[in-house]
Amino acid sequence: MSRVGVFVCHCGENIARNVKVQEVVESSRDIPGTVVTADYPYLCSAPGQQMVIDAIEEHDLDRVVVAACSPQLHEPTFRAAAAQAGLNPHLCEMANIREHCSWVHRDAEQASAKAYQTVVAAVERVKRSRPLDPIEVPVTKRALVIGAGVAGIRSALDMANAGHSVVLVERQPSIGGNMSRLSETFPTLDCSQCILTPLMVQVSRHPNIELLTYSEIEEVSGYVGNFKVRIRRKPSFVVAEDCTACGDCAEVCPQPSGNEFDMALSSRKAIYIPFPQAVPSVYTLDPDRCLNSKLDSPTGFRVLACVKCDEVCKPQCIDFDMQPEFIEREVGVIVAATGFDMKLGQQAAECGYGKHVDVMDGLEFERMLSASGPTEGEVRRPSDGKTPKDVVFIQCVGSRNPEHGVSYCSRICCMYTAKHALLLRHKVPESRAYIFYMDIRAGGKGYEEFVHRAMEEERVMYIRGRPSQIIEEEGKLKVLGVDTLSGRTVEIDADMVVLAAAMEPADHGEIAGKLRIAADTDGFFKEAHPKLRPVETLTAGIFLAGTAQAPKDIPDTVSQASAAASKGMEMLSKDFLERDPSTAHVDESACAGCFECLAVCPYGAIERKQLLDAQGEVFREVAAPNPAMCEGCGLCTVTCRGGYIDLEGYTDEQVFAQLGALGALREVIER
Amino acid sequence: MNARIRPDWDIRDAILEMGGTDAYKCYQCGKCMAVCPWTHVESVVFPVYRTPQSVKLGAIMSSEDTDEIEREVTEVYRCVGCESCSTWCPHGVHMPDIMRGIRRILVEFGSYPSELSESVSRIHSSGNPFGEPREKRAAWTEGAEVPPFETGMDYLYSPCCVPAYDPRAVNVAKASVEVLKAANVSFGILGDGESCCSEAIRRAGAEEVFQEVAGANVTAFSEAGVKKVVTTSPHCHRTFDQEYGELGANFESVHQTQLFARLIEQQRLEPKNALDKKVVYHDPCALGRGCGIYDEPREVLKSIPGLDLVEIPNYSREYSLCCGGGSGGVWLERPKGERFSDIRVQQAAATGAEILAVACPYCLQMFEDSVKTMDLELEVKDVSELLAEAL
Ligand SMILES: Cc1cc2nc3c(=O)[nH]c(=O)nc-3n(C[C@H](O)[C@H](O)[C@H](O)COP(=O)(O)OP(=O)(O)OC[C@H]3O[C@@H](n4cnc5c(N)ncnc54)[C@H](O)[C@@H]3O)c2cc1C
Ligand code: SF4
Ligand code: SF4
Ligand code: SF4
Ligand code: SF4
Repeated sequence: MSRVGVFVCHCGENIARNVKVQEVVESSRDIPGTVVTADYPYLCSAPGQQMVIDAIEEHDLDRVVVAACSPQLHEPTFRAAAAQAGLNPHLCEMANIREHCSWVHRDAEQASAKAYQTVVAAVERVKRSRPLDPIEVPVTKRALVIGAGVAGIRSALDMANAGHSVVLVERQPSIGGNMSRLSETFPTLDCSQCILTPLMVQVSRHPNIELLTYSEIEEVSGYVGNFKVRIRRKPSFVVAEDCTACGDCAEVCPQPSGNEFDMALSSRKAIYIPFPQAVPSVYTLDPDRCLNSKLDSPTGFRVLACVKCDEVCKPQCIDFDMQPEFIEREVGVIVAATGFDMKLGQQAAECGYGKHVDVMDGLEFERMLSASGPTEGEVRRPSDGKTPKDVVFIQCVGSRNPEHGVSYCSRICCMYTAKHALLLRHKVPESRAYIFYMDIRAGGKGYEEFVHRAMEEERVMYIRGRPSQIIEEEGKLKVLGVDTLSGRTVEIDADMVVLAAAMEPADHGEIAGKLRIAADTDGFFKEAHPKLRPVETLTAGIFLAGTAQAPKDIPDTVSQASAAASKGMEMLSKDFLERDPSTAHVDESACAGCFECLAVCPYGAIERKQLLDAQGEVFREVAAPNPAMCEGCGLCTVTCRGGYIDLEGYTDEQVFAQLGALGALREVIER
Repeated sequence: MNARIRPDWDIRDAILEMGGTDAYKCYQCGKCMAVCPWTHVESVVFPVYRTPQSVKLGAIMSSEDTDEIEREVTEVYRCVGCESCSTWCPHGVHMPDIMRGIRRILVEFGSYPSELSESVSRIHSSGNPFGEPREKRAAWTEGAEVPPFETGMDYLYSPCCVPAYDPRAVNVAKASVEVLKAANVSFGILGDGESCCSEAIRRAGAEEVFQEVAGANVTAFSEAGVKKVVTTSPHCHRTFDQEYGELGANFESVHQTQLFARLIEQQRLEPKNALDKKVVYHDPCALGRGCGIYDEPREVLKSIPGLDLVEIPNYSREYSLCCGGGSGGVWLERPKGERFSDIRVQQAAATGAEILAVACPYCLQMFEDSVKTMDLELEVKDVSELLAEAL
């Protein structure tokens, strides 16, 4: 016979207001197996917990029920207290009489009756609980970081500096991401390249970082502490070790076209380096633009129509036969930092983007403002190369627009638009800047002051409203709109228009799918808890950094990157990880080997196990959930037609006893 | 104007209850004002984005002052329901619904423009806005041999009150039936068995009369065994298609340009008489933004040999400028300088077109007036008229 203790919490007024705690305590005394009952105003407080510990010792309890709040909140607290008293933590059970009773019912009579029922059910359940020990999994002491924008770079450096090995994978030929495109950064106007390049160089020189650029994740398998990653290194057709970045090849290459690093405002050759400070400093041959055709060749280029680069390359590093390379790495933790793209949707088109060349997006304007950009930092109209005088900036293009764009606020564009207007005024003092805005969201440190600097010192004209149409007339862009503060219509003859387009996640489900992590409705990676676990995912061992998780500026990106790194290091610093033992178990003697469970497990945790007879011959294959990968979701248990899978801590016996106590399945239990 | 707003929850709730709940969605961005046709009228400021805010504060119709009430009524009846704002609103606010909510209350209290109240009572009593005798609803068919609708026919042809009674617009109805006959479409009319679709008065706020008159139409159509209706007016089509369902109607509706385009595609209609003229097409609000029908009327026009179809730059399709006739606007006497139709015909004339093609009887009336008063060399014709001439 079990010896159960029942402890009922008042939660101040939270529970006691609607649940008659005394009545619950008294009636609980008669539940078979209960040897002690007690109540306390705040059981989670130190004296409250001590009361539970003392009772376990004094009455030699072997099971505990705490009737209080949601197990989400305090199950760990009371399980730890039970452990302190020498009881296996899985023999402590919560009965939720707050969220399920006092908070949702008005009638105290009924709320109290339900609270009592909940306690009875918990007692019946805990009586059938078994002691469980945490599962220990060894940790591979290496991290994978996907994406080498400022987020990935910061995460990789933090972990590498702490002595851990890091594999950093970037799909572009250079690391740096979008930040390397920026001119100067708000609110301090540091030159973006100047603050980022040193970090990029550190990455390339760091003994603990293995940098794989021009590479993509092919496949991820395994589980926390023991991920296996297959990486595909795309052929760059240039032997990186030998390339001196002299640029002779690009000079002779006859194939120019738009440079995507400059948002196609400048051109590059088929063999190129995206920008002078690129890391690694090597040239890459773009097979899609090279004159030599691949003809679906499994071995490099098939037909060589042009070998100009090969002829001039002194170190002889052009290799037209270069193959993709597949690299396998085992890692313990993963940081996903795949960043953002600009979203140019319906509303950008409405503002003339794609129709008038003098309408550009914010990132294009950044390149124009950048000293290393296509115009060497001079503001020029794309149509005729003239210096513009009147420039209209439009905020919230596609953002906060559930009808024609995305519903969220992109968070950075109020600030970078103020920066754009201010830099325009610095570069072209006789220019006039107009900003159509709806709200100015400048919540960061020094941000509000920065916006006012643009307004007061640079005399930027802020117009609160939206434009209706942009009409090309005699070489000018007539911007028609309203100012809602004066309630009047506005008309501006502009030379150029810059759109603060929405930010969207760069990953469209591909990496999320491979990592088996969730994305929210807008495609940003989803954190485990928006407040308390903002850099973790629900898949253990995978962390998030930067704009891949939500729109943010550089300070927030870098903070989150360091947070993700420290979460990763917390795991990497251990030899073994402890996992919740609530995992699936198969009754091997009964399993028929239909493997329906294997098909439904979202974590790929179920393996095929061969049972051998005395002669060592395979006589049957059965399902075997890997406890290190099982997340305890329970899908397999309900899929198995024979009911041969049980979830530890949620066995059929426990669940039926609990339901039976609630009266729901009495007949089932009795049968 | 009352200098100080004292938020009034009763007024707020009353308007929201009358169908104005979209006001909640509005975040005062101003896009609606920016795209409203009133921005083309230099002398009038119509900051329509303030209306949802006034609704949320209950700061409308709260004054005792008659001048103030008059000012508000004028303001609320500026909206012609062109749906420009609702097409471009980032937050999905349907401003005409909010306006209708307010107007329903104004109509209940009888404080709305007299021209409108007269039209409403004429529709109520004689089934058309002109006060013409109900029995004469089929008079337009004289000499045209239009069959009465019988169960089993494919389509009920519903001509709209304007072509049924207006001497100029009669030709549109005649042309339409001529086209239907040429394609051997099985159709008939109900004549005085139907009344005004009442779309306009519903938007003007006369909900009760709408319910009554439209309800009678639903009954009449269903008793006659109507399964499909083809309309001349996009306003009839829109309300049949999008609103009559609320009244229990279960018939389909098509606009005649949709049907004509299909018949041409199926080669049941083959326009052969050339029209060597430059034609500009105006997208009626109710047909374009209202029902998303932009291509079919253009296809019909393009099928006419020799016809040179041009567009009004910057203001066609979704950006089309309203004629001013919607939501009862056609019955309001707007001072010169405040008529959208005057601006629109000028835009049309500037393309160098000789004919302005429309697909809506209100547009036809509004533009014909403007062309006359402005003395422009521009013919206004319905798409059906041009098609009929080409057959
Ligand atoms: C116009 C504009 C101006 C801005 N100005 C400022 C400013 O002044 N101050 C400020 O604080 N912030 C500014 N920002 C914001 C700033 O750019 C971002 O906060 C920052 O760049 C985010 O860094 P990230 O690493 O998260 O993303 P990214 O910079 O996008 O980096 C992501 C990286 O991951 C790589 N990647 C993506 N998918 C994969 C994959 N599947 N496999 C491998 N690699 C992958 C990408 O190639 C990229 O290198 C501005 C943004 C814009 C658009
Ligand atoms: S940050 Fe500013 S400009 Fe960008 S979406 Fe938000 S409110 Fe609009
Ligand atoms: S409980 Fe869920 S995670 Fe575990 S093996 Fe079954 S299906 Fe997979
Ligand atoms: S466009 Fe929509 S959200 Fe903006 S002010 Fe008008 S109704 Fe409100
Ligand atoms: S429906 Fe047309 S007239 Fe009415 S407010 Fe909207 S844009 Fe203006």
